[in-house]
Amino acid sequence: MKKRLFSIAYMFFITLFFTSIVSGVKVLNEERIERNQKAKLQRIILSVLQIPTNGEPSDEKVNQTFETRIKSIQVEGTTLYLGYDEEGKTILGYAFPVGGPGFWGPVFGMVAVDSEASKILGIAFYKHAETPGLGARITEDWFKDQFKGLPIFPVEEGKKIFYLKPEGTGEAPNELDAVTGATGTSRAVEGFLNNGLDRYLREIWKAVKKG
Amino acid sequence: MPKPPKKIEIFKAGLWKDNPVLRQILGICSTLAVTNLMVNTLVMNAGLIFTLTMSSLTVSLLRTYTPMRIRMMVQTLIIASYVIIVDIVIKAYLPSISEALGPYVGLIITNCIIMGRCEAFAKNNPPLASFLDGIAVAIGYAIVLMAIALVREPLGFGTLLGFRVMPDGFTPWTVMIMAPGAFFMLGLYVWIVKAFFPQPQEILKSG
Repeated sequence: MKKRLFSIAYMFFITLFFTSIVSGVKVLNEERIERNQKAKLQRIILSVLQIPTNGEPSDEKVNQTFETRIKSIQVEGTTLYLGYDEEGKTILGYAFPVGGPGFWGPVFGMVAVDSEASKILGIAFYKHAETPGLGARITEDWFKDQFKGLPIFPVEEGKKIFYLKPEGTGEAPNELDAVTGATGTSRAVEGFLNNGLDRYLREIWKAVKKG
Repeated sequence: MPKPPKKIEIFKAGLWKDNPVLRQILGICSTLAVTNLMVNTLVMNAGLIFTLTMSSLTVSLLRTYTPMRIRMMVQTLIIASYVIIVDIVIKAYLPSISEALGPYVGLIITNCIIMGRCEAFAKNNPPLASFLDGIAVAIGYAIVLMAIALVREPLGFGTLLGFRVMPDGFTPWTVMIMAPGAFFMLGLYVWIVKAFFPQPQEILKSG
């Protein structure tokens, strides 16, 4: 009986000891982890809106640029990031999150359109679980750059704003290169990005125009 | 209580005679998952070396007080605590690598090498010997992972530690990026080691 009580007391105190240490480490680093995540999101938003941040700036510098050039509003349950020019008067474009299931797990991205909602300014992906070297190549510049300047307009049922075709076979301007060897990821991106843009044009953009 | 083994013997066993990956085929999950890029491999190795040595040391320090019947719970708790600490530190200071490694840092908890060393060694041996055993086995694991990454990254990406090492016209081998590439490399290494450098007990078994 005494032995059992000792075991329980032992386990209790040793658990208390180790969880306190872990909690301590967590509390000490929490702020830093949050700051990392915030800075990452800010970098992504600035990059899709094509607002230059001058090389490889520190997190503070990015935060500064973000505070002066970006405003965020809620429209139809979506966060819209408004990108302003250097004087802070004219709107350059709108960035909003897009995402959906990828091949291995959810993909989170950000897309920016110009102030007239007529073309894409840029896209980027900030969280995904795609295979490095294959699906994860959607984060490479050659893939993202194809979307710059892509015209967007409401399309009929069954049609898409853009298509991803096997590398080099696209003929129309809205037929872009898919990632070779990552058909699953390419299809997923084509799907959720088209949906996101479509929803933006049909719902969010109308709400924005109304004010 | 048996006398603790000599230090040199501990290192020989961890690095070569009882190498966790090549001889005992333990820790395969992380071996397959993180070895397609050398950077990820190095961070994973650092995490495992820290967790294994600290867990072995702690289990050994507590060995005379821990009641036998709850020792597994205590070991799991100790291992999990160190792994969570590693995970938090990587998230705070190396955010991009933390994302690349995904869930694998947290999964060090389930790496059977760590609990294996706690059970097989640390719970019966004094702290210094256990600490050294942890280092030796962890380095044994780390060397094998680096050897695999050394082949996978150049063949799969054409780079090593992010620097281009293959000629421009080189076509990356997709298979080396995926887990099967690691299976091939690991199988190759295990075969070489077992075929050309067999241990006495292995000769007996096969002969």
